[in-house]
Amino acid sequence: MNPLVRTGLTALNVVTILFVMFPIVAAAIASLQSELVLSSDLTAILPAEYTLDNYRILFGGTDEANRAGTIYANVAYLPDAIRYFDRALLNSLIISSSVTALTISFSALSAYTVARLRLRWLLVLLACNVFARFVPLVVLVIPLYVIFRDIGLTNSLLGIIIAQTGFLLPFGVLILSPYFADIPRDIEEAARIDGCSRFGSFLKITLPLSGPILVSLGTIIFIASWNDLLIPLILSSKQEFMTVPAILVSLIGDNAVFLGLLCACCLVALLPTVLMVLMLQRYVVSGLTAGAVKA
Amino acid sequence: MSVGWLAVVMNLPTLLTLLCVLAYPIIFAAFLSLHTVGLRELRRGELPFVGLDNFWFLFSDPLFWTSMKNTMILSVFSVTAEIVLAIGIALLINRKGLWTSVVSRLLILLPFAVPPIANGLIWTFVYAYNGGFLNRVLISTGLIDLPINWLGNADTAIYAVAVPYIWRSLPFCVLLIHAALQGISKDYYEAASVDGATSWSQFWEITLPLLRPVIVVLLILRTASAVVVFDEVIALTAGGPGNSTWVAAWYSYRKSFQPPFDIGVGAASAYVLAILVGILAIVYIKLIYKPGV
Repeated sequence: MNPLVRTGLTALNVVTILFVMFPIVAAAIASLQSELVLSSDLTAILPAEYTLDNYRILFGGTDEANRAGTIYANVAYLPDAIRYFDRALLNSLIISSSVTALTISFSALSAYTVARLRLRWLLVLLACNVFARFVPLVVLVIPLYVIFRDIGLTNSLLGIIIAQTGFLLPFGVLILSPYFADIPRDIEEAARIDGCSRFGSFLKITLPLSGPILVSLGTIIFIASWNDLLIPLILSSKQEFMTVPAILVSLIGDNAVFLGLLCACCLVALLPTVLMVLMLQRYVVSGLTAGAVKA
Repeated sequence: MSVGWLAVVMNLPTLLTLLCVLAYPIIFAAFLSLHTVGLRELRRGELPFVGLDNFWFLFSDPLFWTSMKNTMILSVFSVTAEIVLAIGIALLINRKGLWTSVVSRLLILLPFAVPPIANGLIWTFVYAYNGGFLNRVLISTGLIDLPINWLGNADTAIYAVAVPYIWRSLPFCVLLIHAALQGISKDYYEAASVDGATSWSQFWEITLPLLRPVIVVLLILRTASAVVVFDEVIALTAGGPGNSTWVAAWYSYRKSFQPPFDIGVGAASAYVLAILVGILAIVYIKLIYKPGV
C-alpha cells in the first residue's frame, strides 16, 4: 500500500470510529459530572471536576439518607422513575431471558419441520414468517393493548413476554430453518437406522450440531427484546412493571432529571447488550447476515 | 407418529403464538379501525360501528398528511445515507493490513446493541442548545462561534432526528455489504489490474454491480424500518417544533394513547402504514424468496 493511500484510509477509519463513539463518549462525559459543573462552562468538553454520584444515586436509592454527601444532597425532589430504575433492570433481565428461551425453543421445533419434513403447508408457514417479519410493531401494539387489557395482561411481565415472543419468533424460524437444512441428512439417517425416532434425532443430532446458530439467534433475540420500547411502553402503565426503555421514556421532559443523571441511566441501559455484542461479535455478524439474505 | 402429525405437534407452540399475537391482533386492528374506540367505549365494553369514518377523518386531517410527508422525507434521507455510508465503511473495514480497520470492524457493531430510546435520549444532550455536546465540540474547535439550535429549526429538525436513527442502523447495513464484498472473487480485480483499470473504475465496473443484489435487499428492509421510526421522535422532539417531526408511527401512537385516546383512528392510521410496508414485503418475497424456496 502506498503511504498516501495508507494515511488516507487511516484518517477515514478515525472518522468512522469517532462517529460511532461520539454519542457514547458524550454520555460518559456527562454522566461523570454534576449539573452545576455541566452548566458552569457551556463550552468545555471535559468537566473541571469528576464524580460518580449519578451512578450512586441510581443504585443506592433516592432517599435523603442516600443522597447525603452526594451532588444530590440539596435536591428537593427526584422522579419516581429513578427509584424504580433497578427494578426495571431486573424486569428487563427477566423478560429478555424468557423471550430468548421461548423464541429459541419454539422456533427450533418449527424450523426443524420446515427443514426436514416435506409438507406443502410448511412452505406456506415459512412464507407467512417472512411476511410476519415486516409487520410494524406500532400496528400490533394498538390491538394488543385492547386485547391484553380485556384479559388482564397489561401491567404484567407475562404480557410483555408473550407479545415480544410473538413478534420475534418469525425471525427465529427464518434463520434456523436454512441452517438445519444444510446439516447433512446422512448423520440423521444413520441414527434413525439405529432406532432413533425423528424427534430423538432432532434433540440428539440437529440441536447439538447447531450450537453456533443458536448462540447467534439467542444473542440477537435478547438484544431485540432488551431494546424494544413500544411493547412495554404501551402494555405497562405502572412503574413496577416497566422495562428499562419504558422507564427511560418516563424521564423525558422531567425538569428534575439532570442531563448527567439521564446519561448515566442511558449508559447503564446500553451496557449489558453492548458487552454482549463485543464478546459475541462473530455470532452477531453471522446471525444478522443469515437472517437477511438466506431463504 | 406419522410425519404429518409430527409436523403439527412440533409446530404447535409457534402456530399458537403466531395466531394469538400476530394474526388475531392484525385482524382485530382492522375491526378497531371501523369502530369508535375511546376510553369510555372500552370501559363500557361497547364499540359503536362507524364504517369508514375513521379513514375519512384520517384523509381529511392535515396532520396525517404532514406525518406521511415527514415519514417520506425521513425515509428517503436515512435510507440513502445509510447505504452510501455503509458501502464506504464496508470497503474500509475490508482492507487488510490496517490495524485501524480492525478497530472500525469491531466498533461498527456497537450501535446495534444500543437501545434506540437510550440513544435518542443521549442525543438530547448531544443536540442541546445550551451546553449540548455537539455545540461544545464545535465551539471548542473553533468551527462555530455561537451555539446552534439543532432541534429548534422546523426546516431541519427532521434531519437532526434522522442522524441518530442512521447511527443505529449503520451496523446492519455495513454487515450485509461487508459479507457481500467478501463473496466477490479476487480474480475480477486481478484481471482488471492487468488491463490497467484504476481502483476508481474497478469500484464502478466491478464492485458496485456485484453489490446490486444486497443493495436491493437493504433498500427494502431499511425502508420498511425507516417508515416506522418512533423511538428517536419520542426521545428528541415529540413531533416538534410545530408539527415538523410528526411521523407516521408517532401519529398512530399519539392518537391512540394520548388524549383524546382515539384508538379507532390510531388503528386506521396504523393500517395505512401496514399496507405500505406490506407492499414492500411482497416485493421482497417476490425478489428474494423465489417460488418453490
